[in-house]
Amino acid sequence: MIKMTQIDARGLACPKPVIETKKMIDKMTEGSITTIVDNEIAVQNVSKLAQSMSCNVDVKQVEKDFYINIYRGELATPLEVETTVTGDLVILVGKDTLGQGEGTLGKTLMKGYMYTLTEYAPYPKAILFLNSGVNLTTKGSEVIKYLRHLEENGVEILSCGACLDYYKVKDKLEVGGVTNMYTIVDTLHSAKKQITL
Amino acid sequence: MLDKEFYVISFDSTHYALDTEKKLKDHVDIETIPTPREISTSCGLSIKFKIDLFESVKNIIKDDIANMKIYKIVREGMKKNIYPITI
Repeated sequence: MIKMTQIDARGLACPKPVIETKKMIDKMTEGSITTIVDNEIAVQNVSKLAQSMSCNVDVKQVEKDFYINIYRGELATPLEVETTVTGDLVILVGKDTLGQGEGTLGKTLMKGYMYTLTEYAPYPKAILFLNSGVNLTTKGSEVIKYLRHLEENGVEILSCGACLDYYKVKDKLEVGGVTNMYTIVDTLHSAKKQITL
Repeated sequence: MLDKEFYVISFDSTHYALDTEKKLKDHVDIETIPTPREISTSCGLSIKFKIDLFESVKNIIKDDIANMKIYKIVREGMKKNIYPITI
């Protein structure tokens, strides 16, 4: 018997939709789950999670709601696995300056770091931006082109959604995707090497 | 980044580098980068720009340029060849 479940995640704050969906996928070896959400960010986060668990995903919008259909087992078709030439390092960027002291120097150091990253192989697996770190991935940042270069070469660039929202720069994101604390913890803790700037 | 050829002005003083960056950045497309190791092993800042922008750069900093060290950098794979430029 194939399991079919529905999760109504409308009105749930991030990262609850992802957590609830993951719990359900964990319990199901074969079947389908439909997670209903009411915002685009949740669509992206839930879809990414499902895909990372080898599920097939399709999304249908019904008025203001999004129905994310997730298929696992025989219902899922094999996904193409993309291999990229990146290492095992995940970098956590919690602020837009490097070191402590003068702000101008801190900003210059961070610029220098991001520039040098593009010249140093192998590239990290992912760079996560939190708190004032999101100033580096949004409009006005002087390191967008370095981050774009890294992204084009397989590095995942992720900015915390709550932080983008807090600083009111969600619509000013210029590179990479929006993520949630669940993905941040997951990416950070499952990495072989981590650096916090 | 990963440009094949470019010019670089290297500075011994960070403050001098940042001052020069301020003078140039609204007029010419420059990048402030850590001084390439092939030029100096001590930590410093350099200003990088495309070769065809040299005239524009010279015009803006012509009073100070005599004190600056300018290099042409040509990339060969992972290696960088350095050619000092005299004004």
